[in-house]
Amino acid sequence: MIKRDNFIRCHVCETVNYDNENNLLCRRCNSTLHQPAYISFHRTLAFLITAIILYIPANLYPILISKQLGVNTESTIIGGVIHLWEAGSYPIAIIILVASVFVPLLKFIFLIYLLIATKYNVNSSRVDKHKLFYITEAIGPWSMIDVFVVIILSVLIHFSGVQVFPGAGATSFALMVFFTMLSALSFDTKLIKKEFK
Amino acid sequence: MITNRELDQFIICKKCDTLHRKIPLHKGGKALCSKCETLIYRRDDKMIENTLALVITTLISLIVAFKFTIITININGLEQSLTLTSLFTVLVEHQLYIVGIMFLFLIVIFPLMILSSMFFILFFMKIEKYGYSVKRLLILLSHLKHWSMIDIFFISLLVAMVKLFDYARIELGVSFIALILTLILELIITKNISFHELWQKHDTIYGDDDD
Repeated sequence: MIKRDNFIRCHVCETVNYDNENNLLCRRCNSTLHQPAYISFHRTLAFLITAIILYIPANLYPILISKQLGVNTESTIIGGVIHLWEAGSYPIAIIILVASVFVPLLKFIFLIYLLIATKYNVNSSRVDKHKLFYITEAIGPWSMIDVFVVIILSVLIHFSGVQVFPGAGATSFALMVFFTMLSALSFDTKLIKKEFK
Repeated sequence: MITNRELDQFIICKKCDTLHRKIPLHKGGKALCSKCETLIYRRDDKMIENTLALVITTLISLIVAFKFTIITININGLEQSLTLTSLFTVLVEHQLYIVGIMFLFLIVIFPLMILSSMFFILFFMKIEKYGYSVKRLLILLSHLKHWSMIDIFFISLLVAMVKLFDYARIELGVSFIALILTLILELIITKNISFHELWQKHDTIYGDDDD
């Protein structure tokens, strides 16, 4: 008799394990299969809150500072996007807007939804939740584009008269991406299944 | 209770978590998930040899990409070039240590670790020795695979070049070509290989009781 809920996939080596609540380790690679659900839940939540807090300075502090003949001009992420839009380079403006504003926000919303949905058994399709998690994991690192662009520009525009360098926003933005990735990685897909028990 | 042999007959889709029973495939065949049509496994008898060749090439081109100039810009006769060393010099000069360390790991250390551990896995599998090391490396690889950002770095490079297009003359360096080559090869490798297949090969070559 095969029941779907009795099988779980090891997240490290992708093998199928028979789940009888006693086997704590994967049969092939010995990584942990079971941990109390609240550990994963709280870890994901903690990383997510850290990321959301870091998102505030990432947007308020300048990500790029340009120094021209001794005068400093600072620009934030949104400021940079507006500047690019006004200068007429629409594709780049859209790439930066999507990668550094929409992607982090989408990740926050997806993860909050997944956490609430698994905690309070929101009645929606299990397959959809798995797909949502898959998307969250896949789009995660792409928000780093803005930080990398700023670093590359600061290397190339490095003359005695004109200089460009990353501001405090770049550090908090990079850390924000790092913590959202950790948050997505520590989310346990088995939590999604729990509602059926 | 179900035995391990029977469990090996099952596979769970990584995208939508649907359980499937495996069916034997003909040479070069592919199996798709019945719900979301993601590729779940395939049969490729020459996988180890082909991928090993690709991994060695990628490793060489990645080292070339790190060694030489990526791009050089020229603004009214003033030249500035982007290399890995100039990148870290600038980051240290502006005291951005956190970004610098993240950059070092995401762009340099993790990609090199991923490729070299892949090389050792495939090489050991080819000579059919050191089963335990292969297992440890496979576990390491599954933790590392999310943390390589070379592709994102390349897109950022293109964005930065478009931004500079109006002010400066841009010359592409050797590393730029090497970077493109690395990305294409990495794409082929990820298309060619899956962790599921690597683990399966590990099981068939070394058996279940290697440690």
